[in-house]
Amino acid sequence: MNLDHVFGALADPTRRAILARLADGEVTVSELAEPFDMSLPAVSKHLRVLEEAGLISKGRDAQSRPCKLEPETLKAVDDWLENYRRLWNESLDRLEDYLKTLQSTPKTEKRNARRKK
Amino acid sequence: MPAAKNDPKDAFVIVRRFAAPRDLVWDCYTKEEHLKNWWGPKGFKMLKCALDLRIGGVFHYGMESPTGQAMWGKWVFHKIERPHLLANTVSFSDENCAITPHPFAPVWPPATYAETTFEDLGGETEIRLVWEPGEATEAEIEAFRMAHDGMNAGCEGTFSNLDAYLKTL
Repeated sequence: MNLDHVFGALADPTRRAILARLADGEVTVSELAEPFDMSLPAVSKHLRVLEEAGLISKGRDAQSRPCKLEPETLKAVDDWLENYRRLWNESLDRLEDYLKTLQSTPKTEKRNARRKK
Repeated sequence: MPAAKNDPKDAFVIVRRFAAPRDLVWDCYTKEEHLKNWWGPKGFKMLKCALDLRIGGVFHYGMESPTGQAMWGKWVFHKIERPHLLANTVSFSDENCAITPHPFAPVWPPATYAETTFEDLGGETEIRLVWEPGEATEAEIEAFRMAHDGMNAGCEGTFSNLDAYLKTL
């Protein structure tokens, strides 16, 4: 999986909307095209980008070739974002706890700490 | 200034309020002896915490995850106005302080730009972090934007239904 392709594919609002639509279940290309004011070839082009990024796949049925999400790619994106969320949220949680500790230090300890300096 | 280049919709905003006076919160953000006690996710061990608080100065840190994965980072300070404003770039780095891609992901803006304001609320302090992707490619900005979407818990972001979907997997 190439995350550069994945995020490149996600960097377009129409493609994000297509993914959101597919989260509800498989749909055919023409069904997908309906809500977008766009020609079938234009929609197909977006789908190709999503398919190359591994975000969707197309079914084998030669007639309709319904599109579906590829959960593994989405999961990889989600896992990656999770690490990032943790860094800030948990750091700031820890800062909150740390500030409490700092402010609840008994006065005698504070005095001793000052004397050391 | 990288901040001026980005679309405001790509900015990341975190607001947190702490029950502590502003000077103390500022010190916690800007002094090594304090930073090493809180910077990093829970359970991570600090490997290095070196801070040079001046314009152009660097905060270089290293941390190790509970599974032994090392993560290094680097800030470069752009604005230091004690005790109310701190602005710096935020990058991932290696242990020699050279900028590297995100350790868990190859796609991330190389030098994001963060401005943190500290507001005195009379005994309490509100920090407001406005964070932007800085100079970056479209894919990098998208990675940053998605992290933003996910961090505003309960938001109606584009991905809220995808998030719901992922939870069912």
